[in-house]
Amino acid sequence: MRSLFSLCLFLLAAVVSAVSTSGNRLLVILDDVADKANYSKFLADLEGRGFQLSFETPKSESLTLFHLGERTYDHVIFFPIKTKGLGPNLTPNILVDFLNAKGNILLAISSGIATPNSLVSLLAELDIQLPADRTGLVVDHFNYDASSAPEKHDVLLLPPPGRLRPDIKDFFGAGAGSNEVLAFSRGVGAVLGTGELLTPILRAPRTAYSYNPKEQAEVVDDLFAAGEQLALVTAFQARNSARLTLLGSAEMLQDTWFDAEVTKPSATGGRKAKTFNREFAKRVSGWTFNEIGVLRVNWIEHRLDEPGNSASNETNPKIYRIKNNVKYTISLSEYAWTNWEPFTLPSDDDALQLEFSMLSPFHRLELTPETARSTPESTAYTVHFRLPDQHGIFNFKVNYKRPFLSNVEEKNTVSVRHMAHDEWPRSFAISGAWPWIAGIGVTVAGWLAFCAVWMYSAPPLTDKGETKKTQ
Amino acid sequence: MRPPQLFAPALLLLAASFAHAAWDFDDGSISVVAKQSGDSIKEKQVALLNPKAPLSKPVSLGSTSTLKLSLTAKDNGKGKRPHQAFLVLQEQESGLKAPFPLTVKENGKAAAQISQKDIPIQLLNAAKPLKASIVLASFGSSEGFNAPVFNVKIEADPAVPLSAYERPLRYGKKPEIHHIFRPDPKSPPKVVSLFFALAVVATLPALFIGWIFLGANLNHLSKAIGAAPLSHATFFGSIVAMEFVFFMYYTSWNLFQTLPVIGAVAVITLLSGTKALGEVQRRRLAGER
Amino acid sequence: MSADPLHALASAGKAKSTRSVLRVVILALIAGAAIASRLFSVIRFESIIHEFDPWFNFRATKYLVAHGFYKFWDWFDDRTWHPLGRVTGGTLYPGLMVTSGVIYHALRALTIPVDIRNICVLLAPGFSGLTAIAAYLLTNEMTTSNSAGLLAAAFMGIAPGYISRSVAGSYDNEAIAIFLLVFTFYLWIKALKQGSMLWGALCALFYGYMVASWGGYAFITCLLPLHAFVLICMGRYSTRLYVSYTTWYALGTLASMQIPFVGFLPVKTSEHMPALGIFGFLQLLAFLDYVRSAIPSRQFQTFLWVFAGGSFGLGLAALAIATSAGFIAPWSGRFYSLWDTGYAKIHIPIIASVSEHQPTAWPAFFFDLNMLIWLFPVGVYLCFQELADQHVFIVVYALFGSYFAGVMVRLMLTLTPVVCVAAAIAVSTLLDIYLTAKSPKPVEGQPADGGDGAAKKAVKSGLKSTSKPLIGVYGLYSKVAIVGALTVYLLLFVLHCTWVTSNAYSSPSVVLASRLPDGSQHIIDDYREAYQWLRQNTREDAKIMSWWDYGYQIGGMADRPTLVDNNTWNNTHIATVGKAMSSREEVSYPIMRQHEVDYVLVVFGGLLGYSGDDINKFLWMVRIAEGIWPDEVSERAFFTPRGEYRVDGDATETMKNSLMYKMSYYNYNKLFPPGQAMDRMRGVRLPEVGPSLSTIEEAFTSENWIIRIYKVKDLDNLGRDHASAAAFDRGHKKKKATKKRGPRLLRVD
Repeated sequence: MRSLFSLCLFLLAAVVSAVSTSGNRLLVILDDVADKANYSKFLADLEGRGFQLSFETPKSESLTLFHLGERTYDHVIFFPIKTKGLGPNLTPNILVDFLNAKGNILLAISSGIATPNSLVSLLAELDIQLPADRTGLVVDHFNYDASSAPEKHDVLLLPPPGRLRPDIKDFFGAGAGSNEVLAFSRGVGAVLGTGELLTPILRAPRTAYSYNPKEQAEVVDDLFAAGEQLALVTAFQARNSARLTLLGSAEMLQDTWFDAEVTKPSATGGRKAKTFNREFAKRVSGWTFNEIGVLRVNWIEHRLDEPGNSASNETNPKIYRIKNNVKYTISLSEYAWTNWEPFTLPSDDDALQLEFSMLSPFHRLELTPETARSTPESTAYTVHFRLPDQHGIFNFKVNYKRPFLSNVEEKNTVSVRHMAHDEWPRSFAISGAWPWIAGIGVTVAGWLAFCAVWMYSAPPLTDKGETKKTQ
Repeated sequence: MRPPQLFAPALLLLAASFAHAAWDFDDGSISVVAKQSGDSIKEKQVALLNPKAPLSKPVSLGSTSTLKLSLTAKDNGKGKRPHQAFLVLQEQESGLKAPFPLTVKENGKAAAQISQKDIPIQLLNAAKPLKASIVLASFGSSEGFNAPVFNVKIEADPAVPLSAYERPLRYGKKPEIHHIFRPDPKSPPKVVSLFFALAVVATLPALFIGWIFLGANLNHLSKAIGAAPLSHATFFGSIVAMEFVFFMYYTSWNLFQTLPVIGAVAVITLLSGTKALGEVQRRRLAGER
Repeated sequence: MSADPLHALASAGKAKSTRSVLRVVILALIAGAAIASRLFSVIRFESIIHEFDPWFNFRATKYLVAHGFYKFWDWFDDRTWHPLGRVTGGTLYPGLMVTSGVIYHALRALTIPVDIRNICVLLAPGFSGLTAIAAYLLTNEMTTSNSAGLLAAAFMGIAPGYISRSVAGSYDNEAIAIFLLVFTFYLWIKALKQGSMLWGALCALFYGYMVASWGGYAFITCLLPLHAFVLICMGRYSTRLYVSYTTWYALGTLASMQIPFVGFLPVKTSEHMPALGIFGFLQLLAFLDYVRSAIPSRQFQTFLWVFAGGSFGLGLAALAIATSAGFIAPWSGRFYSLWDTGYAKIHIPIIASVSEHQPTAWPAFFFDLNMLIWLFPVGVYLCFQELADQHVFIVVYALFGSYFAGVMVRLMLTLTPVVCVAAAIAVSTLLDIYLTAKSPKPVEGQPADGGDGAAKKAVKSGLKSTSKPLIGVYGLYSKVAIVGALTVYLLLFVLHCTWVTSNAYSSPSVVLASRLPDGSQHIIDDYREAYQWLRQNTREDAKIMSWWDYGYQIGGMADRPTLVDNNTWNNTHIATVGKAMSSREEVSYPIMRQHEVDYVLVVFGGLLGYSGDDINKFLWMVRIAEGIWPDEVSERAFFTPRGEYRVDGDATETMKNSLMYKMSYYNYNKLFPPGQAMDRMRGVRLPEVGPSLSTIEEAFTSENWIIRIYKVKDLDNLGRDHASAAAFDRGHKKKKATKKRGPRLLRVD
């Protein structure tokens, strides 16, 4: 079933020549279709990667995300929209349904334009909090572009993001030159809840803060958030691996900031630098639209691994016995822009783990790559272990969920039965049983001898025997 | 951990703060006011702050105390109100930071009050003292000020249990688990088993010897065979055969193979047994047994 | 003699062969009647398995027939007790299934293709015919009267106390166990009377069959040693007793140990110790008997006392030590509850929660046994009169059977055979006395007076007690009156039995019948409707959580894995379900997730006024859960401050928030005009606003709302908790995250 499904996916991918693993129908929602000129490079990049772009405004009657219960688009980009509401076709519930139907959303907001209520509600459901009254501006008096915002300090210059944690793959900042910075222009920062589905892609520098330019122009009395608690670009991946990215600054995607030149403030040397925005935009959109960081389970196999027991070498049996030795293998691929590649762990600190669990895990073991069964497209991870001495209904569970990687949650249920009556060691193999076996043998021999003596014995000549017999 | 380049601006800033127009402060002081059981006793701890070097001794903040900070922010030596005037508490191990905006007046006089309930729970649970720095910066070209000024030690109140901090779930590797198997059943040493097995076997000769001592013999075998050759042979044979069937059941047969054979052997035993035992009875009646 | 016309008739029956033929015909007719009287449910409803446990037996039989004996023996059932599974082959009494399997294969070998279901449905009636014959044989051992056996067979065939467990479709262990019980007793008496190894071995064989069939075998295990012990105490030790008892014990114990479920219990548990003790005691007696023949009697007296006392004391001490050291399991809780009827309620609520484990109400004796209950003491008294070894057995059996039947409703079943036997002896003695046409012969010149009921006494010889006094009733009127009255009683008995069988014991309880106002029958088939829904609309491995009562039915009819079922071996697992049912949704949900529950099934009788619903059983769930988690579940919290168990608006918050309450009354108020919702079972008006559910959603509700099935939701896709996700779906916007209550939390990555 799974292999068939992945085959279908593969065929689909081949036919439509989409580069994303989940379709290429991309809806771009703009306030005004004419605005797309501002983003021409970004959109051209997307088209160049194989997406079919449709442009709509929220006012459009024909705009609908679902048709007869099926998604009409695979991905949606929201550019900043001035209207307060988004109309009946883009209510928060529809957007949540879109995510639940595995649609992906890239949400670009801007400080100058208040975010529509519908999107604020959607973000609130994801536990992402925007500044009050839908207005906020992130400034940093220490890291700003001295050439474009020497006074206002609202164009932040940030180093491309590194690894968030040592065990997480660096999708967004890897390979950036030392003199390349991200220009985060007139953006909004968000505060993230503590949930595990949210991951900040880009956090504000330690000295940055968010304020309300209308009410707090003079003094910041009520601080929304500052420093690293302020997320500038946020990734959200739902349990079904649908992705939503909140990009705090839509201007980041504009042509003006692609390959622009910026100046670091004089305190930090005042050096000129190039922006990394174009590559960053590509990576962020690529991640959101399932072009990178997508894992695929090619196949799963578990089988008996008893020495010299080739007869019962059935693949994926439904039932095992306690204390059986088994081997579990899972084949994983990772999609990288255009093709599937063998999946490798992001770092040595990470591990692909197999749980063998009933109510709670009995085993949690690390899987190791098995080169013999890996292909140029996939890596086979395998582990050998002995089933616990407890019968029950167990699950082989690979629950590999990592930030920025699509979720792998594979559960294969097997029954582990007790020892059958004829699977125990025979009694003669147990040394403790020898006296008892000897007892049985002696009884049998004694019984046969007794029969013979009783039937064929002549009366003894002594009187003693005579009396005993007659008694 | 953060890549080190982020520290660079702060360091550079310190180095360059005297060269350009820059933010600074003076008249900085902190005091800790402890309230204990009503307002009767007030305890004060005062320290003056130096923008260039942090206080060497940490300030301790009890569960009912309030930390008060006051300073005068200055842009290039003149008292002025900066847009950003924060006191930032930082947990030293994880680097988590919590900013507290200062209330600043036009002339740059700034103040803040912090008590334990304002401090995020992770920082309250910190093992080491918190590092407090002051950030003063504003729009325009003046360089901001950002430097550590003192350390705060959070004194937990032993009477009030600290609200425990539970680390939120983060996807990542989990500790390995290996099932601990029950130990296999043990047999006594083979020597002991063997000894007792031999002891059991030894009873058989003992039994035979006892019988012989009591006068057991097989002298009537020929007589019995002569009287009823077929039935005696079959009867004794069937008894042996029955034991053999049991042996086969023990070693290889299953129940459905065994039961028919047992049935067949039992019938033979019954038929031949009546005749054979009849012969034995005749001998007994004849007084030959 | 020949002048009497009755004798002319009787002489026809004098010929031995004619009598035998008559007896066989009568027995066959009795067996036929026994079978026929158990078919009400098949005729009225259909050929269907009844109640709860039979569904498991039926399922196990199907497995046996499909997979063969050895697979059945090693059967690991992964569709019950999820996720623990059940080592079914090793935890059941296979006798019933194997019997059906053998019958099935035998019929197929005879090219009679019969559906296994029909064999299972009709097995109990079939064996009840055999029970009647066994009762005949047992009674014949007690008395010389020919009619007693036939009467006993007839009583046994139609006594409601036995019918209650053996109607067609009641495919339970008792169906064959009662036959085995009676037959084993018959063989025991036979062996004891003859001192025969052959009969002893046969007795052991049937005892083994009994062990393979029913947990109640312990009754035999304790009764036979008790009988032997009483005989010894009466000074009736004999080689007959020795031979029959030792043969039975040795072979029977070996046979019982072949059953995987029993295994080493016969040498390890206290319930089996009396049998072992008597076995040892008999060896001692035999030895003493030998010694007595060898040494002079005066020395023997001292020897006897020292030896017997010493060994008995030693044996007791050894037993006590072995019990405290754990080699012998102490008496089980179930056993204690036989002595103290309040024990189970305090210590093992799970046993007390079963209705058939309750003490018997007095009317039940009359209901189940009718006139036999007053004939029973008469029969026991008559046994006292003669008091041969076999009569002692009846007396002992009667005493114990009565006690146990009084303690537990279910054990009425073991009392019934002895009641039938004793009553038959009583009735036949009465009939023998009053139905004899002849007058006694004058003895030694004492003329028998044909007067009106005057008792005539034989002259006391004063020497022998063996000569019986000549007592009799010889008047025609009194004879007619007594016999007539007895006939009326017997006829009434038949009427009563038929009425009870038809009205009380023939409901399958899977299908409910009710009468419409016009008198026609209306079938309420909610159970099967719901199980069919499960079968057709859920994944094959969808786990169903319900209270354990319905586990076997779900397994049998819906073919879906269940968390707990009627095989209540794991109290903790049942308590887990009880906790999930009696806790708030937020507490229940992680439990259900952990156990991979897909659907939750509850039985709700509020609409129909059906009393066997889960709200009525709810307190047992609470109690059982409280037994394991006293801190988290409290029975007190389900009662109002005034100590009432309420479900209406005054119910406690704990009650209203419990999952069971919510599932029962979810959406129920929508059936009624606003504010008019009524629970017809408990006769109370429900609050206007019904409960709301967030972690589960309604999946199915049967026609009469008896069964309600809920689906457990998956974790929210966006990581919200279910309550807020449900609120969002209802259109409530999330409140602006107000300033956090409590200390602030920073996000850590």
